[in-house]
Amino acid sequence: MISSDILGVRVARAALIAYAVLAGAPPAFAEDAGAWLSRTALAAQRLNYVGTIVYQHGGYIETSRLTHLNDLGEEFDKLVNLDGPAREVIRSRGEVRCYYPDVKVVRIEPRTFRNAFPSLSPQQQKTLGEFYEFRKAESARVAGLETQAWIFEPKDGLRYGHKFWSDVATGLLVKARIVDERNDLIEQFSFVEVAIGVKIDRAMVRPTWPEAPPEWRVRQLGPVENEIKDTGWTVNHLPPGFVKTVEGFRRLRGMREVAHLVYSDGLVAVSVFVEPAGGAAHPIGSSSQGGINVYVRQLDENVVTVLGEAPPSTVRQIANSVARR
Amino acid sequence: MVMNERISRLMDGELEGVEAETAFRELHQHPDGLMTWACYHIVGDTLRRSGAPIAGFSERFAARLSAEPTVLAPKPRQVHRLPFAWAAVATVAAVSVVGWVAVSTLDPQPKVMAKAREVLSARAPRLSAQQVSPDYLIAHQEYSPTTQIQGVGPYLRAASAEAADGRP
Repeated sequence: MISSDILGVRVARAALIAYAVLAGAPPAFAEDAGAWLSRTALAAQRLNYVGTIVYQHGGYIETSRLTHLNDLGEEFDKLVNLDGPAREVIRSRGEVRCYYPDVKVVRIEPRTFRNAFPSLSPQQQKTLGEFYEFRKAESARVAGLETQAWIFEPKDGLRYGHKFWSDVATGLLVKARIVDERNDLIEQFSFVEVAIGVKIDRAMVRPTWPEAPPEWRVRQLGPVENEIKDTGWTVNHLPPGFVKTVEGFRRLRGMREVAHLVYSDGLVAVSVFVEPAGGAAHPIGSSSQGGINVYVRQLDENVVTVLGEAPPSTVRQIANSVARR
Repeated sequence: MVMNERISRLMDGELEGVEAETAFRELHQHPDGLMTWACYHIVGDTLRRSGAPIAGFSERFAARLSAEPTVLAPKPRQVHRLPFAWAAVATVAAVSVVGWVAVSTLDPQPKVMAKAREVLSARAPRLSAQQVSPDYLIAHQEYSPTTQIQGVGPYLRAASAEAADGRP
């Protein structure tokens, strides 16, 4: 039993080493990945499009209507779900409003500093090449369009795999998939039909409720300052490739002084929130929402909430190494 | 310091600065390192009984232990507290009793790793999506590079019927 196990480990290790050698290609594609991301981000911002999007995660399938307008450089989006309780997301000149009519709540994220893609730093480009293998995959038909598939395959177990399908004619992303190391689906966004470059009226992107109705609760989220501000918190043992892109205080859940730090590997991000526990009971543990994993823990008198598009172990590792600077 | 020891010390929170960096680089660069890391975690979790519960293990272990003859040692040795990962390795034979070795080590690495992660994530209590305020999701979304290429789509996570309720 034991000797066959040892042999098994040796065989597995030999296979792993062979794999590592094969996977250790030079990161010559780094610029390509960065260029592709910039191009795709620009297409998402500049084009006008309206379509039906299917969001699939953990056995759930939700269908929504998505409309995007670029009006002289200003972006407007409207996202309305078509089944289940009505939800509406409005993005207008950088401000995001999420309407939950069944519970009479509107959440407002004010216009904030956007770390736009065209300015992907050389460091981020290098990171992408070091930790993902970026490659062109098959041509495919999605939502009636000729698309090209692209893959970001992680080189370690700390990241999910990503596959993107972009419209050959316009570069617009029409399908995005996140998979785990077994290639099992974690989450997928996919247009089932989309009209690109069509005329969109401002009326098509207006919220159903121009202002929050009086009996609704308004949850105003405070912005993070534009420049990085020392919150006094840090992550001691960051997974390789993640660098801090944002740090500051913001208002969340009606509380002042919630520290918000964002770490990114160039493709995904993990947010760290630290707030005073304030005597209230906070649920502690892990959760997930599609491709987003969440880990909440208590740290002395504080509650640490960490979430991002990374596997549970990565999110947990970050959460467990949050400390005072 | 050999790699396994460094990983062990990293897990025990004993590494800082350059040493920690080295350990993380090893985890990244050596698939062996990652395997070791995963194995130590499974072993540690199992010993702390924080992974998947094993029915009746403690009782059977206690019964076996009490059936052991008492050994009269001539002189108590000084006891060094071992970091749990090293202690865990020493106890690896015992751990095979509780069955994680049922995951054949001949399996391809991803499967073993997946098992390791399942155990790791099983340790924390599972929260329902409703227990995490959509505020955090909305606040996070804007800063994620994937939102930049996917437009407003990822906000569906915060607006999902499963996620969102009226909780403060």
